Amino acid sequence: MADIKPRIKVPKTAKKGEVVEIKTLVSHVMESGQRKDAEGKTIPRKIINRFTCEFNGKPVCEMTLHPAISANPFISFFAKVEESGTFTFTWYDDDGSVYKAESKIDVTA
Amino acid sequence: MTVETVHKGMALSGVAAAITVAASVAVGLGTAAGPAEAATAAPLALEGSAAPSPWKRYKDWNQADWSKFNDLAHPDRAPAPPKPGELRQVADPGKGDPAKGKQLAFSRARGGGCLSCHIMGPETLEMPGNSGPDLSEIGTWGRSDLELFNRVWDARVFNAETTMPPWGAHGYYTEQEVRDIVAFLQTLKTPATFANPLDDPAKRPLPVEDRDWTDPFVNPSAELIDTGRVFFEKPGPSGQSCASCHTDPETAFKGWAARMPYYEPRLDKVVGVAEFVARHAKATTGAEWLMQSPENTALHVYLTNLSAGTKVKLDVSSPGAQDALKRGEALTRLKIGQQHMACVDCHEKIGETWLRGQFLGKLPGQVAHFPLWRTSRQETWDIRKRFQWCGVQIRANDLPPDAKEYGDLEIYLTHISEGWPIEAPNIRH
Repeated sequence: MADIKPRIKVPKTAKKGEVVEIKTLVSHVMESGQRKDAEGKTIPRKIINRFTCEFNGKPVCEMTLHPAISANPFISFFAKVEESGTFTFTWYDDDGSVYKAESKIDVTA
Repeated sequence: MTVETVHKGMALSGVAAAITVAASVAVGLGTAAGPAEAATAAPLALEGSAAPSPWKRYKDWNQADWSKFNDLAHPDRAPAPPKPGELRQVADPGKGDPAKGKQLAFSRARGGGCLSCHIMGPETLEMPGNSGPDLSEIGTWGRSDLELFNRVWDARVFNAETTMPPWGAHGYYTEQEVRDIVAFLQTLKTPATFANPLDDPAKRPLPVEDRDWTDPFVNPSAELIDTGRVFFEKPGPSGQSCASCHTDPETAFKGWAARMPYYEPRLDKVVGVAEFVARHAKATTGAEWLMQSPENTALHVYLTNLSAGTKVKLDVSSPGAQDALKRGEALTRLKIGQQHMACVDCHEKIGETWLRGQFLGKLPGQVAHFPLWRTSRQETWDIRKRFQWCGVQIRANDLPPDAKEYGDLEIYLTHISEGWPIEAPNIRH
């Protein structure tokens, strides 16, 4: 968990109108802010609080995440694709960091 | 697919310093029987423990103390066994409450759980084991109450090498509780029937692990391959990182983990990947990567994975390694814990049978898929943590992960796994 590395799984190709499964996984501690360290001090909250997926600039999925989500959030969802293009995935961290990943898909008639 | 990451450094939890550097470069040792091809021995921090010290058991594990009984480092603590044939004489050994006896036999809460190993008639709960005899009709066998009492209390009176734990002699059950169990056993007169075919251990299909362990979406431990690579390049307090010297780890370390552990003459003990990483990093980069720390585990996974596909083959030619192998082999036969069991009891004598819903594998090959993702614990474990867990499960105190006894056990188990390909980090229950 030293490095925050997003991973995504999207089919490379699909038929027009096909529903494809999209899987995302990001390595992240998701520190809830509820835990205490050995000295009894609260460990500050550090979670990914928002996730978005866009396709060719149009929103596909957006979610807010809360402290109960466990480490390394695995988010999976389905999308219907009508045209070739690029999925863009963005994870927003409490500390202001933004992690991005994208994947192209070729859609045939 | 392109992946772009923008991140800020994450603070790592500090780990207590336990190792102090005694020698940064070892001299005068000639060719060490070490893992490196280099003619000079790799620098190791030789003082102190490679694990947090003093060692404290993991906090979400059973915290009971079993120092009245043997552990791998203390083979002489167990109470003396009964003399062969000298049965414990008790009044009315069968005068108990069969309903209470049944509750004890079927209960996991008391740590007994006869069903782990025995089928016990038509009322047997789901998924009984078959590593002990089927007791469904024991009430028709004509066994006296006193005999059954002694078989539960301490079966060593009949067979010194039995795998049956001494439930009474080691304090699991009181005399009256054993009477209750005897009364229950005498009621068992009907063969077991199974509503669900999976409940019959004789017909239960063997577990097959065929998930793609290389895929981080399937196996969280596979995530640590990349994490370990990041630590490999992260400078320690000396300003150096692993990568400062090891410029091409993917080539240089291919096959290295398949030759681990090794006998280290400077420490007079067997050292595995995790301990080597802890002591070598301390001596070179200055990093405090104690065994079982997140950094050490990630490095362990990364470095072991670089040998994926390579067949296990140890160089055990040195006298030190030969002695360690002998000690390790003996440790697999040492009875430990309140349950008074040895490695070979579960993994050789009754191996390849069911312990409740879990299939007991034999000893060879077990090490080749470690470190691994334990689905039941949701953690990445190396073989040393597995040794600790085995002990605690049979109610024996765990040792520190860098204990010499674990090293002896690891080198023996790895040696008998020669030829098995490294498939790590794998997935197991």
